[in-house]
Amino acid sequence: MSVLGECLIAFVFGSIVGILVQRSRFCNAAALRDAILFKSFRNTKALLIAMIILTIGFTGFMSINEGHAMHFDVGLNQMIGLFIFGIGMVLAGACTVSTWVKTGEGNVGAAWALLFTFIGMFLFSLVWSVNYWPPAPASMTGEPNLEALQFGFANAATLQEKLKVPAVIFGLIQAGVLYAIYRAIKRRENKPAGAAAE
Amino acid sequence: MEFFKKTLDPIIALTAIAVLDVFLFLIVGAWTVGGGETMMTGLAAQAVIGSENLERIPFWNLVFPPTFGYWKIYISFGMLFGAFVSAIISREFYLRIPKRLSEWVLITVGGLMMGVGIRLAFVCNVSTFFGLTPQMNMGGYLAVSGIIAGAWVGSLIYKRILEG
Repeated sequence: MSVLGECLIAFVFGSIVGILVQRSRFCNAAALRDAILFKSFRNTKALLIAMIILTIGFTGFMSINEGHAMHFDVGLNQMIGLFIFGIGMVLAGACTVSTWVKTGEGNVGAAWALLFTFIGMFLFSLVWSVNYWPPAPASMTGEPNLEALQFGFANAATLQEKLKVPAVIFGLIQAGVLYAIYRAIKRRENKPAGAAAE
Repeated sequence: MEFFKKTLDPIIALTAIAVLDVFLFLIVGAWTVGGGETMMTGLAAQAVIGSENLERIPFWNLVFPPTFGYWKIYISFGMLFGAFVSAIISREFYLRIPKRLSEWVLITVGGLMMGVGIRLAFVCNVSTFFGLTPQMNMGGYLAVSGIIAGAWVGSLIYKRILEG
């Protein structure tokens, strides 16, 4: 597909997401923060349902070697980076999606958060250029590199290759776990208020 | 239009987004935001400090050479456009400006941490929940554990600030 075609598809997809998120008030930051602070799971349940659909869809197509799976080595930087991101997301009161959506609604605070996300990225690029960690994708081999705190690459497709079991089977197991979490939340919500206090 | 008059159930919204994301995965790749934002950062930096100066920073040569032809940028522009149109039609567009200094400080610090975190991890929250983890990528599980721990710490800080 041409670059223009890719960009057009991305724009159309983003536009639909923008409309749906604006109308539903979904926010990833709220999905985690509200569950932790207020035991409110409105956004958390939606996130889990989406993950169930995506897990079955992605692994289903990965079983027949279709789709464009993300491919890069992973390591401790994913955990540390998202830990920092998670704190920032709660403090800013918005995730990467809701900063764009709220900016589109005229929220100046969200636009400010977006600006400082860009500044944070630029500052990181300066630091990275000093120590070159985490390793650049071009230097990744797919194998563990413990010196650089990298564990290599593994996903549903590599599981399929190694264990000769279709990727979708692993996907169905993961979807089952996500559904069990969803059901547990629903049960908690359906419990009478008095019973929860007992 | 009725659709723009009431709030949509997020489960319906996210179900529709997930189905579309599966198609996007088949055509170009799963939904992500952080990569596009990084490319925008590079392009903005190029405009501000110039190509020659930017080329002196290895990150922008080795990891993200700035280009307008990077499809992930247009997901973010699309979200901005879609939200703007939706807010106009539903008459929910108006300028909302944080009133207290503490809000500005939290948003500034939070935004900076989000930017640093995304680049350190190579992924954002969207790639984590809507890309890596559904692909059963090892990085997805590492990222999910990180973001939950971070959100928990962030919530404790937020609660302390709320209490005063």
